[in-house]
Amino acid sequence: MGITRRIFMITGAAVGGGLLLGVGGVSAHLLTHNRVGVQQDAHESDDSTHINMWLRITPDNKIIVINPHTDMGQGSSTGLMQIVADELDADWSQMLVEQAPADTAYSNGKVFEGFVREMMTPPEWASTLLENGFYRMGDLMKMQMTGGSSAVRFTGWDSMRHAAAATRQMLIAAAAEKLNVAANTLTTEAGNVLHADSGRSLPYGELAAAAAVLDSPKDIQLKSREQYRYVGKPVARVDVPSKVLANEDYGIDAAVPDMQYAAIATSGVFGAQVKSIDNLDEVKAARGVSDVLIVPDGVAVVADNPWRAEKAVRTVKFTREPHDNDTLSTESLVNRQRQALSEDLTSGMTAGAPDDIQTTVNAEYLVPYLAHASLEPMNATVWQQDGKLHVIGGVQNPLLARARAAKEAGLDLDDVVFQARQMGGGFGRRVAFSMSDDEPLNWLIQAVRIAVDTGKPVKTTWSRETDTRSDVYRPMVMAQFEGALADDGKPSLWRSRSYGKEMNIKAVAPPYKIPNLAVSYADLPHPVPTGFWRSVEHSQHGYFVESFIDELAISAGVDPLQYRLNLLDENSPAAQVLLKVAEMSGWRSGADNQGRAMGVALVHSFGSTVAQVVEASLTPSGPKAHRVWCAVDCGVPVNPQAIEAQVQGSVHYALSAALYGKCDLKDGGVVQSNFHDYRIVSMRDAPRVEVELLPLGSPVGGVGEIGVPPLAPALCNALTVLDGKRRRVLPLV
Amino acid sequence: MIKLNVNGVEHSLDIEPDMPLLWALREETALRGTKFGCGIGMCGACTVHIDGDPIRSCSYPVSAAVGKEINTIESIGTADAPHAVQRAWIEHQVPQCGYCQSGMQMAAVALLNTNPQPSDEDIDNAMTNLCRCGTYDRIRAAIKTAAKELV
Repeated sequence: MGITRRIFMITGAAVGGGLLLGVGGVSAHLLTHNRVGVQQDAHESDDSTHINMWLRITPDNKIIVINPHTDMGQGSSTGLMQIVADELDADWSQMLVEQAPADTAYSNGKVFEGFVREMMTPPEWASTLLENGFYRMGDLMKMQMTGGSSAVRFTGWDSMRHAAAATRQMLIAAAAEKLNVAANTLTTEAGNVLHADSGRSLPYGELAAAAAVLDSPKDIQLKSREQYRYVGKPVARVDVPSKVLANEDYGIDAAVPDMQYAAIATSGVFGAQVKSIDNLDEVKAARGVSDVLIVPDGVAVVADNPWRAEKAVRTVKFTREPHDNDTLSTESLVNRQRQALSEDLTSGMTAGAPDDIQTTVNAEYLVPYLAHASLEPMNATVWQQDGKLHVIGGVQNPLLARARAAKEAGLDLDDVVFQARQMGGGFGRRVAFSMSDDEPLNWLIQAVRIAVDTGKPVKTTWSRETDTRSDVYRPMVMAQFEGALADDGKPSLWRSRSYGKEMNIKAVAPPYKIPNLAVSYADLPHPVPTGFWRSVEHSQHGYFVESFIDELAISAGVDPLQYRLNLLDENSPAAQVLLKVAEMSGWRSGADNQGRAMGVALVHSFGSTVAQVVEASLTPSGPKAHRVWCAVDCGVPVNPQAIEAQVQGSVHYALSAALYGKCDLKDGGVVQSNFHDYRIVSMRDAPRVEVELLPLGSPVGGVGEIGVPPLAPALCNALTVLDGKRRRVLPLV
Repeated sequence: MIKLNVNGVEHSLDIEPDMPLLWALREETALRGTKFGCGIGMCGACTVHIDGDPIRSCSYPVSAAVGKEINTIESIGTADAPHAVQRAWIEHQVPQCGYCQSGMQMAAVALLNTNPQPSDEDIDNAMTNLCRCGTYDRIRAAIKTAAKELV
């Protein structure tokens, strides 16, 4: 039975509290529908018990964690399992994980809530309402997002942890009833409730059904950090073996009966549509080609093999509708941004900053548009069967992808079946929604159109060239800075202007104590499609802020690491990670006798704080990063080895951008096309990266993106030591 | 007809001689462990062995593979009997998204077959595949672990 029933609750009285539980510290979210009831309906055929939104327990005592996020290898599945196993006193051998289906019963409002709470603290009385509201919002927006480094810190720590702890208490209550003993004589261990006095024990699997209908406890007993057996330990990720053995099906590996293959030629100008195909007969005559059709933003060729489709689509000649973007170029866009910064700006943050302070350090920075370049190009497989539209794809938001496919095909959500597959990299490309009017699911829209218009089962796969030229790009941003120094060398004024709508002004402002501050921005859109790119605005503004503070340090004649420390509270996480990274790297100012120098940067993002030191040199072929040290405060390090991997990977991701990454605009489209001109660091370029996680007792922070922002400024700061040149434009090569 | 020997099995395929080996493997023999990343031989996600040598199958016409032994990731090891490289890959928790890793492992196996004790420089020279998740630190460590095990 499919998930079709929708029960909207007016009050919590209709079902037991346990069924409603699933959110942190609150036993009911009354304004949302009865999620657990819907979930249970969908599993009528199996005999597991839905204890709450995130957990099922099977009669043979397996604990199934339902992950409402997609695990792209960042380790969220394993991390969530660790949290649940600890709170539930379960043994690791009992633990299983399932990807949540693309259904509103599994939308993740907790993510919104986390982001909003990061910016404001609601009063206690509003908390329950807010929580309910966010889940309802998640339902309405079809939000099942993986992004903003939110899975473990919001869904896991705020929600599943409480749900698992409450479940353990409910299992104890069920056992107490069954054994006819007092609950306080019972303990839990390795998935069993134990009665020490009588030596009896009951596995959770035998108690789950009875526990699920009990009221959830008012007072949830969470474990202390000392009691954890899995959280904080380097646990092997559950997704690794199948990936190593090549047993993992990615979206691109989908295979359905009679499947055909589509390749896409883009119109070449953002927003411009194709008017006519001018050599239809010629293209159709190629071996294996069955269909040639106009699709949104381009032309598709359908053939019986992906190579034949791609070969044929490259021969298509078409006429394009004229478009305002026809003359778009990098130069015109740079000029547009510089012009905008000279006009009226939106004030983001102001403290003092009178106009009469004489500024002495002025700088203009520029970073380009960037493609995500996930190694698996965008693709989706779509077919119609039994009156439904079926879609297979790898996305960071399966529910929204399902909803968009339904809209494109003119169907109800219930008439679309979406199978989320493994993703060959996401980095924000597949997050599926956008803060602009751009359509990040542009490949999925094309794939749906092709399958619907041809009536065939079709896998649409973008070439690398189409992928690079049809992205939703990290925005190009220009930023201008003015600084003044007090007599003691500390900044007395920091003024910045930058281009783009700034949703998160904290990312744009310096993290330092500066008496006069004025941060403003041009709240204007981009004619180029833009989207979320790993670490979002921190990737640009981390570079700007941490480069400009270095400029001020040099102007003051103070060691850049010490200069930062002088502007921070001694006991702050920021100061602590700086001191740690200085120790790890053996921090020194000045070049060594091998021509290597160090640079430092500090960025707070996604609830975590990271300081990096890069050791770099200048070689005949360009700058080289030899070693990178990262000191990280992410609160509770749920899976340290997975966090290390995320930070290491982020360093290489950011290094590709700092050294090589740019998407130039010419005649309305992107110039770069493939890895020869959109370069990615290889093993030879890759510095050795060392990561240390600091136990500072901070709240749980994100980890998937936090290693990106400090890399570019730390690298540029190191290079300045070597040749005195300030690098204010990326990329470097 | 094009005759290909893939993982010890003979295939007779009605395909064009200039079809890249990658697409013959993935779509004509349904061996989808070999991945498509760039189509121009840059990223190495499509790395397979031809007579033991690592090649980029996206840019290697099937006509050039006729009469040779083609080996893909599917022939390297299994869950029950993983290759030393695969054991090391799991021990070091190498993959993130995992998409590049079949090509990476094929490159590493070929390297260790010809150079059982590679230096860092040897690893840099041989491992030219691209990993967008940036797993290079662990790939390097895993190759060294596998090298020790293969002695």
